[in-house]
Amino acid sequence: MTWYKQFDWFTVFAWIMLSTVGLIAIYSATLGPVSDFLPDHIQRNFSKQLTAVSLSIIAIIVLQFTSPRSFQQLSYLFYAVCILLTTLTIFIGVEVNGARSWLEFFGVRIQTSELLKLATILAVANYLTSQRNISAVRVKTALVAITMIVVPVIIVILQNDTGTALVFLPLIPVMLFLSGLPHGISVFMISPAIIGYLSIIDWKYGVIATIVLTLAVYMLEKRPWLGVSSLIFGLLVVVGVHVALHDVLQPHQQMRVEAFVNPFVDPQGAGWNVIQAKTAISSGGIYGKGFLEGTQTQLRFLPEQWTDFIFCVVAEEFGLIGAGFVIFVLMFLLLRLLNNAVNIKNNFSQLVIVGVVTILFTHILINLGSSMGLMPVIGVPLPFLSYGGSSFLSNTIMLGICMNLYFRQREMGPFA
Amino acid sequence: MVNYGNTDKRLKAALRILQVVIGLMFLTLFGRLVQLQVIEYETYSPISERNSVRQETVNPSRGLILDRNGTIIVENTPVYSIFVTPADFKTENIELLAKLMQLPEEFVEIALRHARTYSWHRSSRLFSEVEFDIFSRIEENIWRLPGITHQIESRRSYPAGIKASHTLGYLSEITAQEFSRTTEYRLGDKTGRSGIELTYESRLRGETGLQLRRVNAYGQGIGPFDDGALDQNPIKGANILTTIDVELQFLAEKLMANKAGGLVAMDPNTGEILAIVSSPDFDISRLSGRMDRDYWIALNSDTLRPLFNRAIAMREPPGSTFKPIMGLVGLHLGVVTPETNVFCNGGYTRGRLYRCTAIHGNQNLEEAIKNSCNTYFFRMMDRIALTHGLNDWHALINRMGLGRRNNIDLPSENPGLLPDSSQMDVMFGRRQWGLGDQINLGVGQGVMGATPLQMAIATSEIANGGYWVQPHLVKYINHENGETETITPGKSRIEWIRDQDLAVVRRGMRRAVVEGSGRFYVDIRSIEIAGKTGTAQNSRGRDHGWFISYAPFENPQIVVAVIIENGGFGSVSAAPIASLLIEQYINGEIRRPNLVNMMLNFVPRDSNINF
Repeated sequence: MTWYKQFDWFTVFAWIMLSTVGLIAIYSATLGPVSDFLPDHIQRNFSKQLTAVSLSIIAIIVLQFTSPRSFQQLSYLFYAVCILLTTLTIFIGVEVNGARSWLEFFGVRIQTSELLKLATILAVANYLTSQRNISAVRVKTALVAITMIVVPVIIVILQNDTGTALVFLPLIPVMLFLSGLPHGISVFMISPAIIGYLSIIDWKYGVIATIVLTLAVYMLEKRPWLGVSSLIFGLLVVVGVHVALHDVLQPHQQMRVEAFVNPFVDPQGAGWNVIQAKTAISSGGIYGKGFLEGTQTQLRFLPEQWTDFIFCVVAEEFGLIGAGFVIFVLMFLLLRLLNNAVNIKNNFSQLVIVGVVTILFTHILINLGSSMGLMPVIGVPLPFLSYGGSSFLSNTIMLGICMNLYFRQREMGPFA
Repeated sequence: MVNYGNTDKRLKAALRILQVVIGLMFLTLFGRLVQLQVIEYETYSPISERNSVRQETVNPSRGLILDRNGTIIVENTPVYSIFVTPADFKTENIELLAKLMQLPEEFVEIALRHARTYSWHRSSRLFSEVEFDIFSRIEENIWRLPGITHQIESRRSYPAGIKASHTLGYLSEITAQEFSRTTEYRLGDKTGRSGIELTYESRLRGETGLQLRRVNAYGQGIGPFDDGALDQNPIKGANILTTIDVELQFLAEKLMANKAGGLVAMDPNTGEILAIVSSPDFDISRLSGRMDRDYWIALNSDTLRPLFNRAIAMREPPGSTFKPIMGLVGLHLGVVTPETNVFCNGGYTRGRLYRCTAIHGNQNLEEAIKNSCNTYFFRMMDRIALTHGLNDWHALINRMGLGRRNNIDLPSENPGLLPDSSQMDVMFGRRQWGLGDQINLGVGQGVMGATPLQMAIATSEIANGGYWVQPHLVKYINHENGETETITPGKSRIEWIRDQDLAVVRRGMRRAVVEGSGRFYVDIRSIEIAGKTGTAQNSRGRDHGWFISYAPFENPQIVVAVIIENGGFGSVSAAPIASLLIEQYINGEIRRPNLVNMMLNFVPRDSNINF
């Protein structure tokens, strides 16, 4: 077979689509009529993103010439280096918007936590693959894997970048689920997230979710102690969230949560972002207001419209057609990657792809959820669309690795 | 030991589950997108429009006030003001603001503190009446100064050089209570508080316009929305053409300066007020912009009450100026004929002696008016009271406009006091009053009071052949759309006044000027003036000097009624002023500069003899 029949053209095509839409949206958000109200350094974002895209193209091509084995072989080293770099960042990093996430090398700023995502995926995949039967049923294996994920989370939290830290967490249940954790226990593990989310909206929803999830866990596992602990744990989460909302969280954090539940309580303050983002998306309608015509975008009503709220720009100016297109391309890209994983007969490759999909999906879910008012605003970029060189490059590298694992799967062998 | 095939199978199943979960969640996100963009489109689309479009009200410019010849008396001058909403203003910006204002930072801080004590969340004036170049500099930088706004306001200015403070009136911002009762005003709007500004507020105000402007999130205006297609232009207030004669008013004010009293000059045929003065007056320009608080307090605590409009609200016994009116009443009721002679031996005795000013001997009505003989009118009043009663007397004179409001287009007109029996009952107690309390009324003394305006109206009736005319200050209202509203004041024949009776009274008044008390300062060769002096006793010191007059005798064009508070003899205090005004109005110039100087330096003297 010739190489181009092996190559994953679908993924490349999706990547091109997304980064193009991203560039158009960044252009509109920073160089449109709105540029009158933006400082110069933000107006340079478009050209910086263009540079990042160009570098990414090179990165994808270079990656395809790399042996997939090297990823596995270098994974621990890479992980160690990244842990070092991120730890270093806590102390000597450059602070932007309150988060100390950037390291500056010769005038180039790199968000080290972005690299750490890839490193963690590779390292955990490698570790789990090295275990017999990639089985996480054994408590020790599971604990080591969890530790490998939690350490980066702690480091990133210390960088004061809670949003990014949050992105790591879903790796735990997903990787363990893939490594043979029984379905019931997997559901049990992700249940706090679901219960917590619903409890924020209303504690009654949290209780209902607890009961439903407990039943699901019990149906899947038929183990009474698991069912009971699921119920107790779920209710603890409901109570915990309630206490956290009212007693533990700082007032400004409480406001943010409150703003998510009811943005009109403080429309000029905490509710501002939520209202303006929803308004931008909704007022786009089916066909959108047109390129450079979005009033919310061009009149500077959207906060951080080139990064965290880039989706609003797309939705306002290109409507349901444009925004729906973005959502479907993202969906097909992730489903396609998982399909590739199914077809690859190598566990490491499969775990890496699933890890990448998890990280990307978490980004997408949080970003779109924040923009569309489905969850409290958490500042996380939308992969391939948001402005941000480090993020774009690292996401592309992750994608490139997945493509490489598929393209050159035969080099890995089924029992690596 | 589980074999790899088994692991592989399990992994594949897990991957499929993941695919389903991710696919479902994406569909949820897409569903939310559809919900927002299709179902809730109607909810949020207006928000986005409201967001980016700001509705600004545009104040109309207030109508001008002009004199009868079209000279502008009141106009608008633009004033540039800087406003601040303290809650939105960042203190770091004080430095920038001070630099733009070219003021030391402390000044800005002090002004800001004032604004804060007023309200944190409502915008208040930080600096008013700033220079235009400073104003435009602020405007350019307004986006760097959140919380700061600017406004072009207008204030009234008075280019004609006349004060007419009581007549024109001043404006002030509407109060919070007024605001809550109306939908026509916005907070901070100004409204007329007195004078024409108050009476004609609805015409002068105009209609507020609307302007839709595109704004960004900082509230900075970007430009008109929809190219101004939906804007409503403000409708300028109507211009008001008054009956005032600026030159006459100017002279009247000059002559009335440094005196207390009221003056009304009007056209007897139409009721048009030519000049109207209440002295002392005040400076409306100090009340028209930002309220000058100290000045306001000073005005209110002044014992001379400068805010009080004496011309239409000062109620004083008319004294001898009442005699021509009495003459008409006496003739009508038949208590006297023009030929009736009454012998004056220095007084009239009825229970007691009612003094006259001199021993006039035999007097008919004409002579009695000329000589201001009290005896004649005491006797006349005595007869009227006995044969007809006070109420008939009241009804006749009330018809002439005394003892009631005549509905001049100015606020706070006083109805005066003209007693009938029920009022006497109230004042003295039922059956506690008698003939002695009524005889005084015959010479305009006792329990009666008239305003200068009422005396001018009564004089007009004598001059114009017995027509009551509604006094008025506004002739035309020129609306912005080109329509002209003509004010038609009331005018009605007073049925009981007979022409032959008028002729007698008029002759008496003419002779009062030529031969009587008016001969010193009023009688001038070029104009035939008729008039009557009055010197009214009052409880507050020196007598008030009155003078009523009209001219020319044959074809009356102007009526002047003047009262000088505590001015002593009407013939030396009020009469010269009236005669000068008549000379100015009829001849267009004054050939008696000495008299003008005398009146400018007028010092009232005691009148030892009353009446």
